[in-house]
Order: sequence, then C-alpha cells, then structure tokens
Amino acid sequence: MFDEPYRWVEAVSQRREYIEEQLRRSSPVIAASVSEGVVYFTFYKRIPKVYEIYDGIAMGSIGHPADIESIRMMLLNAAHMEGFQRSPKDVTLNRLLLFSLSPRLKNAFEDVGASPMLVRSLFAEIGKSQEADRLMTVDFDGNIEEGGDVLSIAGSSAVKDRIQERLGRKKVPEATVKGILPDLLEAYAYGIHENSEMGLDPEGNLIDPDKKSQTILRLFEENTPNVCLLDRQKGSLLPVPPSSLSALTEGLSK
Amino acid sequence: MVEDWSNRGSFLDLLGEKLLVLPSRLTGSSQVPEGWVETRATTILAFHFSGGVLVAGDRRATAGNRIMTNRVEKVLEIDGSSLMAIAGSPAFAIEMARVLEHSFKYYRRSQLTELSVEGKLRMLAQLLKENVPMAMQGFGAVVPIFVTQDPLRAKSQIFFYDILGAHFEGAPFAVAGSGSVEVQGILRYLDCWGLPGRGLAGMSESEALVLAMRLLETASFFDSATGGVQAGETIYPVVKILGPEGVRTVAESDLEACYRTEVEGV
Repeated sequence: MFDEPYRWVEAVSQRREYIEEQLRRSSPVIAASVSEGVVYFTFYKRIPKVYEIYDGIAMGSIGHPADIESIRMMLLNAAHMEGFQRSPKDVTLNRLLLFSLSPRLKNAFEDVGASPMLVRSLFAEIGKSQEADRLMTVDFDGNIEEGGDVLSIAGSSAVKDRIQERLGRKKVPEATVKGILPDLLEAYAYGIHENSEMGLDPEGNLIDPDKKSQTILRLFEENTPNVCLLDRQKGSLLPVPPSSLSALTEGLSK
Repeated sequence: MVEDWSNRGSFLDLLGEKLLVLPSRLTGSSQVPEGWVETRATTILAFHFSGGVLVAGDRRATAGNRIMTNRVEKVLEIDGSSLMAIAGSPAFAIEMARVLEHSFKYYRRSQLTELSVEGKLRMLAQLLKENVPMAMQGFGAVVPIFVTQDPLRAKSQIFFYDILGAHFEGAPFAVAGSGSVEVQGILRYLDCWGLPGRGLAGMSESEALVLAMRLLETASFFDSATGGVQAGETIYPVVKILGPEGVRTVAESDLEACYRTEVEGV
C-alpha cells in the first residue's frame, strides 16, 4: 500500500491531521519556573494530567489516557533503571527525552501501519536555582521544543499562542507560586475561550469584568484544577494547597 | 511502544535478572576463601522521644581486627518517611537500601499512592530472605533497623529484623550490631526506671540527642568495632530524626556542641 513514496508521505500527512484533530479539544497544560520550583497548572475532567517521573523531573500530558500511560511508564522505567544502575545524578531530562522518548515517538508516528500515539507532553526538570530549571515539550512526532520560564502545551497552536502571548516570554526571577497562580489562571482562561466569553472586545480590551468572572468561575465548577509544584528542595511533585487555589476565585462575582 | 511488564509498581520485577547486586543473585564459589575477612559495621540504635524517633549509628567499619574506615554512614534515608539503619555487611546493606529507595519511589510514582507500611516491611524482609544462603555461610549478613511513618496514622514506628527476615516492632526502642548489648540494657533501664513518669518517649529532642551520643560512647568503650565519637578528627555519629515533618539530619555542628558540653565535658 505504501510502496510508492508519495503514498507514504500522503499517509503521514493524513495521520498528522488525524492526530491534531484528536488533540484539538484537549485542556492545555502550563508550566512556569518560580523560586520554589516549577508550577504545573491545568484543569481536568476525568484523569489528572501531571505526574512525577523521577527526582526533580515531572511531566504533564494531553491526549489519549492509554498513550499518556504508555509513555509515562516507559519514562518511569528508564529513569529508575538508570538511577539505580548508575546514579540519580545521571538521570537528566535531556537524556530521557533526546535518547529515549523522542526517537520512539518519531518511529510510532511514522509507522503508518500501526495506531498512532495521541500524546503531547510538557516536561520540567528543576535545577539548583530558577535559572537552571528546564522546560521542554515533546510532540506526538517526537519534535522537542525547549522554553524559557514559562511553557505550555495545548490542543491547537492557536490556543497555545494565546496562552504564550498572555504570559510572555520574559524572565521573572522574583516569581513565586502564590504570585504566579493568578497569571497562570488568566492565561489558561484566555487561551481556551474566545474574547467575547472573557468579556473582551476584539482588540483584547476588558469591557465586561463580570463576564470574565463568570467564565472563570464556570471553569472551576465544571473541571477539577490540577495544580502542582515540582518542589526544588524535596525534588517531589506536591499538590498546591487548596487554600492557594480558593484564593484565585475569591472576589469573583457570579 | 508496548512494554513487556504490566504496571504493578514492582521495581524488583523491573530489574529482573539485572539485579546482580544482592548476594543470592551472585554466582561463584559458595565457600569463604581462607583468610578472607568480611567488612562489618556496628552499633545502631533507634528510640522514640517526644518529637518522633531518633536513629543513630557510629561511623566505624571493621574487618576482623582491622579498622577499614571511621566514616561509614549507617543511617540511611530511604524516602521522605522512612529510615534504615544498618549493621552487618555494608556492601550488601547499602545495596539493599538503594533497592528499597528505588522500590518505594517507583511504587509511589507508578501507582500514584504510597506503599503501605506493611508493604515496605515485607519488601525489606524479602531482600533479607534472599540473603539467607550467604548469611548462613558466614558472610553478607545484614541486620537492619527500619523506621517508618504511616501517613494515615501520622505515627512513627520502629522495626527490627533478624538475618532471616523476621521483623518485630521495637517499642519503645531497638538496637543492633556488636555494641548493642550495653545500649540495650541502658535503654531498658532508662525507659522503666530512669525517667520516672515519662520514659524514653517523654524526652525532649535535646535530651534524646545527649542520650544517643552517650550510648554510642558507652558502646565504643566496651566494643572495639564501635567507633564512638572522635571529636579530634571531627567524626561524629550520624543522627537522623523521623518526626511529623519527615526525615531530618542533625547537623554536625549541633552534634559537636552537644558532645563538648554533655559528653566530653561532664
């Protein structure tokens, strides 16, 4: 069936379209480097999306739960074997993604005879300081992107662009968990909603604050927040205290 | 992308045949070569006090009448809520601790929940049982103390093992190693009659620290394989505390201050 090159190229192209379509409605995941570590911010309906992989390494993924589980276990196994047989210091995000995950995803994507991997992931590795933190995304075709202090994944490039535009790419050396959560919530909400739903005019100016409040409150009512800190001191992924999350909706009018 | 193993959270299953670090997995002569003397580590102790459980160990490792080193760490943090103190063969004990550390973390990360206290105890028992053939031949024996915290009950517990893997709860204390005989007697006396009305569990952290230092000094006085405190070479015991906030290592500067005022200067 794919013995002629153009047929294979066509099949890969259709496969990309199919995967993009499957991922399109996924809830975005945002990660931001702060003084205490790396904060993951997202909402989910059924299954949490953020997981600890190894000491100081975490992943947040969107896509099919079975595919997320597949790459999660692959990375867990690779990291723990390496950490045990060598040293935990030898387990790095760079090695895991470049030499383990990315080639496998690329092979899976181009194997047009097999079912595709519906997964897009955002990885974080904490360093000794905020400047040494690393944020990287890996797409379903194995492509890797490295970001600055804030990085996100979303179901479509349009949503991702809106989130990144809102958050900017500036270095924020003084950022803390408490300080950055309102920004992450706002970026998430702006990312998945049209301007009109957020009470904005077409140019992006806020004209209806009540509408914005209602949209954000609805987010919390219809979804479960999945907000975690990859803690710099402990190296573990810890849930952000509920009090910090409830503070986000205080003062919003129904 | 399909993996060969199912996700049951077992790091030992993941290691499979690659686990060649434990004695039972090693191949070769089962006889101890003539004249060969195994390195051993001694005197570890754990007791309850008002702030949790204090675990301490001296720093000496010996092979026969030779001192191999005075800087061994015998109290090892396994995860944020578990400690293991080791007596016996450091080679295998430290490897067991590494297996445990990875096993507990692997379970938590893969199953998205903590391994139960019983599961942790069972895992260490399994490693010790696998070690029995070697231990019976006279080398590779490990006698650990395991201290852990049940997150649901927020209570620290001390467990001690025999070389066959049987485990028992040490309430209010547990000791192991060649210098443990004296330590055991003192702790029993103090808990019953030496601290009227409160026992060991009623001690403050500073009292517990002084007691641990004095116990190790006493053990070293009677047992040549126990290092005790060597302040001249700034070698102090390793002391860790498992309390409500998790595992904490007592700083060497605190141990030094305690030694100068409460052990040496008394």
